[in-house]
Amino acid sequence: MTYRNERGLTWGLVTPALLLLVLFNVFPLLYNLALSFTNAELVGDGARFVGGANYARVFSDPLYSGALRRTALFVCCAVGLELVLGFAFALALKREFRGKALVLTLALVPMMLSPAVMGLYWGLILNGNYGVLNQVLGELGLAQPQWLTDRGLKFWSILLIDVWMWTPFMALVSLAGLQSIPPHIYEAAEIDRAGAWTVFRRITLPLVAPLLGLAVLLRATDALKQFDLVMATTGPNDGATQTLSTLLYQVVFRDGKVGLGSAYACVVLVVVIALATVFTRYLDRLKGAEAR
Amino acid sequence: MKPVQRLSILFTLLLALVLGAACGKSAPDASSAASSGGGAKPKLVVWWFQWDPATGLQELGREFEKETGIEVVVEQIPLASYQEKVFLEFGASRSRFDIVIGDSQWIGRGATKGLYVELTDWLPTVVDLATIHPRAAKYLCEYPEGSNRWYAAPCETDAVGLAYRRDWFEDPAEQQAFEAKHGRKLAVPTTWEEFAEVAAFFQRPEQKRYGCALSSDRAYDGLTMGVQNLLWAFGGRWHAEGSNKVVGELDTSGSVAAIEFYKKLVKLGPNGAERLDYGQVLEQFTNGSTAMICNYFAFFPGLAAKFGDKVGFAVVPGHNGKRVASLGGQGLSISTRIPKEQQELAKKFIAWFLQRKVQEQWITKPAGFTANADILRSEAFRKASPYNAAFADSVDAMQDFWNVPVFNELLAVTQRYVGMAVDGEMETAQAVKELAIEKERILKEAGLL
Repeated sequence: MTYRNERGLTWGLVTPALLLLVLFNVFPLLYNLALSFTNAELVGDGARFVGGANYARVFSDPLYSGALRRTALFVCCAVGLELVLGFAFALALKREFRGKALVLTLALVPMMLSPAVMGLYWGLILNGNYGVLNQVLGELGLAQPQWLTDRGLKFWSILLIDVWMWTPFMALVSLAGLQSIPPHIYEAAEIDRAGAWTVFRRITLPLVAPLLGLAVLLRATDALKQFDLVMATTGPNDGATQTLSTLLYQVVFRDGKVGLGSAYACVVLVVVIALATVFTRYLDRLKGAEAR
Repeated sequence: MKPVQRLSILFTLLLALVLGAACGKSAPDASSAASSGGGAKPKLVVWWFQWDPATGLQELGREFEKETGIEVVVEQIPLASYQEKVFLEFGASRSRFDIVIGDSQWIGRGATKGLYVELTDWLPTVVDLATIHPRAAKYLCEYPEGSNRWYAAPCETDAVGLAYRRDWFEDPAEQQAFEAKHGRKLAVPTTWEEFAEVAAFFQRPEQKRYGCALSSDRAYDGLTMGVQNLLWAFGGRWHAEGSNKVVGELDTSGSVAAIEFYKKLVKLGPNGAERLDYGQVLEQFTNGSTAMICNYFAFFPGLAAKFGDKVGFAVVPGHNGKRVASLGGQGLSISTRIPKEQQELAKKFIAWFLQRKVQEQWITKPAGFTANADILRSEAFRKASPYNAAFADSVDAMQDFWNVPVFNELLAVTQRYVGMAVDGEMETAQAVKELAIEKERILKEAGLL
């Protein structure tokens, strides 16, 4: 094959993927960036260039800072809890026992259901008046909190639903990591009379860490986009539960401010890219240390 | 050419494309065939949200089809997503509906953004405007207020009303107990103070019986629609009469007193009463637990069907002789995102619908609330359903929230600040003060102040 033919084949193979990438990733991204400098609206004709006015609004808007704070809290708490609970669950599942396959299958069910549907179901379960949970609490003579209406509770209720849904994912990834550790390392540690805590700290955790890191990255980027559960339980305009995604929805689809919404989205994108970069570098460092 | 140069050219072209698309105008797609074109049976698609009146309109649509051969399909969209769906359709070059029955609050947006066909010259040719109830004309059809420019024809006139358990109110044991406690007869409340007293009397959580339920949801407009019945009655207002000035108008003692009173009422309901959407308010009544609810009359056919003579209906209570009910009606607007010939078909249907004989049929449908002032005053209307008489008495007391193009932003901040006041997260006086400032900011940004 000549050099020319080889180049033609290379471009022929790469072009479809490149076109798709440009069409579905690069173009929308640039289009969003361009819109963020205009006063485009969801309906109505035309849009005018407004310079950095939308960005000035984003950085001075208390709604945005509130939603950013809430989203950050959500990501930290949800992913943290899911990591701890999921890893503990995986440790419990590592051993062989009767019915393990059934437990594993049942544990994975929440993760496989649609978050929007789960949000609606949990909305019914947590309803303060006729929800199943409060009915049970009432029968037991316990207090019946307003899970989804009490200002101090509703954010945490949504967070708990998320933890319920995604802990199995962390458990699954952790279990895969645990099972990939060669048994001879544990056998060597046993010969060296290492204690259980030392084995966990010096062998289990460091070897599983890169995989856990990846799972945390995936979950964190997903939790940053938290939308379905909030929409299904409290709606997009609730000051106590509004996340960045629901704020975006409110701005674009309710208020019709596409230009402003695009500016919000660009800032969110920058935050996500920054976080992801920090995290992947951390993962690379971990892998490097492991290789050494 | 070097690869870097090629890449630069490619990105420059892409950027130009993006900028052009972002700032360009979208032209209505006249080529997309209306269903009437190409020899197919002419068809009109009407969008409305899912409720009894939409079913009634579909029945009338069949009558229209018999007379004209034009098929009318009323598509019922769930209320929770109705607004988003409608405005997303307007974002397209061809809307899937020909007629949209839009909330009264949307008319400013529909008129100023070129979404609704202007009917100013046409509407007076098919209906005598003097026959339309002035409040229905003002809030459902005209924009700006007092301009005589029409963007909708009246379809459903609606207002918030009171539904109560007549059987509880007429129970001799209850009457005796109430009289012994309050020194007056147990009667349908005409003031919010009486309403609170009666609600407190029936509030018996240990028996799973509750005093009242008002709309208080935060997702769309429930809380605002629930509060404003009191706000106006207590002397508050959203803005100055005839202008959009808010500061000094909303942040008054009347508004504060109204919200404080509303907070008291919410405590005289079931658990979670501070966050009930319209459906949940109805549910509190239909599950047999609540003595009184305030909700839109057009939601009441189900109550009348289920409870028969055990339910009674009345005008919302007032304060110091002033009664005001939240308006909740909708007008028929023609989409500008459809071809001209389809717009003509839509006009044909609207003209047919506005005929007196059709309006007389309309009132026989569940919650078919006409805007025809004569019919509203007629005995036939008052007797058409158990709730019609109370509705007819409410029409003169109807008032609406903002209907300017930025109403959604105004609604969102209202829901947020009033919500904070109701939840006790912010002092009510502070909440209305900040709300007034925020509303003026939105109005100034929109060039409306």
